[in-house]
Amino acid sequence: MKVSYNWIKEFVPGIKKNNISDQLTSLGLEVSSAIYKNNDLILDIDLTPNRADCLSVIGISKDLRSIHKTMIKEPLYKKLHGVSSKKSILKVDKKISSNYNLLTISNINNKISTPKFIINRLSASQIKHVNFIVDILNYVMLENGQPMHAFDKDKFNGKVNVRFAKKNEKINALDSNLYNLENDMPVIADDCNVHAIAGIIGSTYSSITKSTKNLMIESAFFDPNIVRRTAKTLRIQTDASHRFERGVDPTLGKYAIMRVFYLLAKYSTYDNYCYDVRTANNLPVHIQKKIKIEFNHIKDLLGVNLDNKFIVRTLTLLNFKPSVTKNSITVRVPSNRFDINIPEDLIEEIARVYGYDNITSTPDITQKKISNNTANQLNNYLNIFVTRGYNEVISFSLLPRNIQKFSSSDKNIISIQNPISEDKSELRTSMIYSMIDTYKYNATRQQFNIKIFESGKIYKSQKKKIIETNIISGLLSGLNSGFNLKADQNLIDFFDMKGDLMSIFHNITFKPSNSLDYLEKSSQAMIYQNKKLVGHCGEVKKSLYSDISRKYPLYFFEILPDNLHHTVDVKYNEISIFPKVKRDLTILLDDKISGQDIIDKVERMSLKQLKNIRISDIFYNEKDFRTNEKSMTFELIFQDKKSTLTDKKVNNLMILITQEVQKHLEVKIRS
Amino acid sequence: MSQHYNSLISELRKTVDDCESQHDLMNVKSKYLGKKGLITIEFESLRAAQDDEKKELGRLLNDLKNTALEIINEKQNSLINNLSLDNKIDVTLPGKNISIGSRHPVSIVINEITEILSHYGFTQETGLEIEDEFHNFEALNIPSTHPARDMHDTFYVDNNKLLRTHTSSVQIRSMKNSKPPIKIMTPGKVYRCDSDPTHSPMFHQIEGLHIDSNINFCHLKGVLKDFIDEFFGRKTEIRFRPSYFPFTEPSAELDIKFNGRWLEVLGCGMVHPNVLRNVGINSKNYSGYAFGLGIERFAMLKFGIKDLRMFYENDLSFLAQFEGLK
Repeated sequence: MKVSYNWIKEFVPGIKKNNISDQLTSLGLEVSSAIYKNNDLILDIDLTPNRADCLSVIGISKDLRSIHKTMIKEPLYKKLHGVSSKKSILKVDKKISSNYNLLTISNINNKISTPKFIINRLSASQIKHVNFIVDILNYVMLENGQPMHAFDKDKFNGKVNVRFAKKNEKINALDSNLYNLENDMPVIADDCNVHAIAGIIGSTYSSITKSTKNLMIESAFFDPNIVRRTAKTLRIQTDASHRFERGVDPTLGKYAIMRVFYLLAKYSTYDNYCYDVRTANNLPVHIQKKIKIEFNHIKDLLGVNLDNKFIVRTLTLLNFKPSVTKNSITVRVPSNRFDINIPEDLIEEIARVYGYDNITSTPDITQKKISNNTANQLNNYLNIFVTRGYNEVISFSLLPRNIQKFSSSDKNIISIQNPISEDKSELRTSMIYSMIDTYKYNATRQQFNIKIFESGKIYKSQKKKIIETNIISGLLSGLNSGFNLKADQNLIDFFDMKGDLMSIFHNITFKPSNSLDYLEKSSQAMIYQNKKLVGHCGEVKKSLYSDISRKYPLYFFEILPDNLHHTVDVKYNEISIFPKVKRDLTILLDDKISGQDIIDKVERMSLKQLKNIRISDIFYNEKDFRTNEKSMTFELIFQDKKSTLTDKKVNNLMILITQEVQKHLEVKIRS
Repeated sequence: MSQHYNSLISELRKTVDDCESQHDLMNVKSKYLGKKGLITIEFESLRAAQDDEKKELGRLLNDLKNTALEIINEKQNSLINNLSLDNKIDVTLPGKNISIGSRHPVSIVINEITEILSHYGFTQETGLEIEDEFHNFEALNIPSTHPARDMHDTFYVDNNKLLRTHTSSVQIRSMKNSKPPIKIMTPGKVYRCDSDPTHSPMFHQIEGLHIDSNINFCHLKGVLKDFIDEFFGRKTEIRFRPSYFPFTEPSAELDIKFNGRWLEVLGCGMVHPNVLRNVGINSKNYSGYAFGLGIERFAMLKFGIKDLRMFYENDLSFLAQFEGLK
């Protein structure tokens, strides 16, 4: 809210230009800017939603009183005498308004111009000059916080009704929109038409114009929740709704209308008036609320020992009317303070006047609880990706609509009901899309060598349950190391990716797969650790990035860190003192059989002396296309714990192994 | 005599100078110092010398031998040096398979903050990003009619499920599932229906929570003051000012003085008794503080990043600037 310093000074004479901003900020009314203009200082105050009481000059002044200790001078009013209820033209639903004041003025002179100082003050608060009557209403609203509305009385037929809208009722509102109303929306209506959405906006039809002669001014308390609900449904925000939603002092209505009456009478002329009011028996609960607070409680929560006198004085200055016993205070909450409900609220009042910066600091270092370190473990993996040359990326979890058709069926996709844009309207079910997107972004900037990873979540709906899954995903393409000399350069392939993954994740194995639609069927794999599925990887389907002209193949992986076995149980094995024996085994086999098939067969034999088996070479017979044969060499390492392995023993083992392999698989052993 | 020696030495020096290889030099060495070497045989004169001359002659002969050795050794060293100079590599050529990656600035800042807070005794907890209204709002004392809902423009996935607008929902789950003392930190992604140069629909937060008996506002101030100094690596001027959050009372905002201006960096306060009641903690026996901050904001201050959108464009030229940080 923007407000004139000079105006506040009329109520709090003690304030100074050079420290008002600091004083307001330390009270919790943060001044975000203060600009000198026409011998005045325009303060821009960022109010928190709880402080509706400070949406006016008097409200702000009342808060400053806690520091300046001056009484607030009341503005001048003109007294009103009410009509008898027999003559009343008012009918009010008390659920909507517990206090409704209506002032009818006949034959008002509306042709006069608004006094200059009023226009200036309105403009300081960014309120447009409209006409004399509306300006006065806005001026009084800025002064004491009561939003009011003026109707052209001659546009009204019969009684003034404050009620809920009827089905199919409509209003042509002052913001030039036509609103269709629902039966939980509060309106001001006559016998035929709706003239305002209560507390929110009036209609063009009965608005005040230069030719208005007879007028009705409404000054009311509208239920905050009803106003809020209605404004939200209709998506309207006005100065009035903003205030009513947050709470306007329910006792203010009559004073505000008397203040308006005073100003109208001072600057204009009229013939006569009629004042009508409807008040509910039950005022809003917070007004009568008493709160008791123990002095000890203040000390316990703030950690400082405040002087009881300071506490009592502060609450008095803030208009809480405290009554004090030896150990406690009981206060009565002022009618403008909707935000004070519990003792802690009062403690904040005391603390903010004392000054948060005057409260001491105590170190708070405690023994750390022992926790499972999955976050640390995850972070370790990510740091290894970095040392292997990957850049970490973070991309939006929200994706464009319909982009995910490739990887997920519609029923798995979680959509946002109220997206900010079409391109952020579904939650990702895989990181493939954002990875390709990031690739494209960089490729169009001539950056084709890319190794990136992201750690985050993917989201799926499964059997009406929402599943969030942690993922470490990555994409790599281009030259393996952009720093290498030409002779040492090579293009990233599947095995660069596999090598990285095997270096980072302990003991993982790869099994051929063809189930993922966004990866090429010819080169994709499922990744396992101890027979548990921990991820997948492969070459990205070329059609997914066909719009990029220069093409190196893209490789992609997703790892499920929660499925990984984080703790590696190491038990020291006595090192054998006997020499190792290395043997090679070359096998001619059909291309359909994988090297891993052979290794699996051999390992299943559980030979004690076989320390290790690995593929050491592979050769495709290119001369003969008819045979899909390849020749593979395996390196086997033997060692015994108790004795030196003789050639004879190793030979026997090799015979056992070849027999086993040949028993299960169609292969030829080369000698 | 010594003149003879001198000429021997100068002769030797000349021959040695002419040597081009180790092999040449070894030949010269044996010519002078070998068994029948020119210098070796000079030592025979010692036998014939008078007793009183012996001492002086011995000294001269030793000098002669040592000088000769010195000359030869010197040449030998220079030959070795020249040899290795011929095979000298260009150490400025690139190393092979250099791989320089980087963490994302958001991760770097999260890691740094959790590292600092863990020393104060906070343990890390993470939770769900898709939350229900209870854990994201109601348990935090934000009923649906509350104006504070406006501070959180919320993405809904269905009538009750939403993308969490803060990581406070993790605090709620943690307080429901464990008993005080509770001292946790909750980094993670949060979402708000908001997009402009200073707001992103997705961003990162970390929140801290400490519930125990006898926790008061002074502890909150102490932790945050230390934390800010440690994070920015220097004594930083800060101020606490009253603010409003439905889940804390009293509530405060922490500002830091940055380039001469006050900047709001963090919200905090004493946990509201309604929140404690909602999670079944007796506010008569326990109290606590909570604080929350935006990671991107801290990263922008730390690295001088001006535009929030840079964080999610994932331009390699941006990302590569953070190499070397973890």
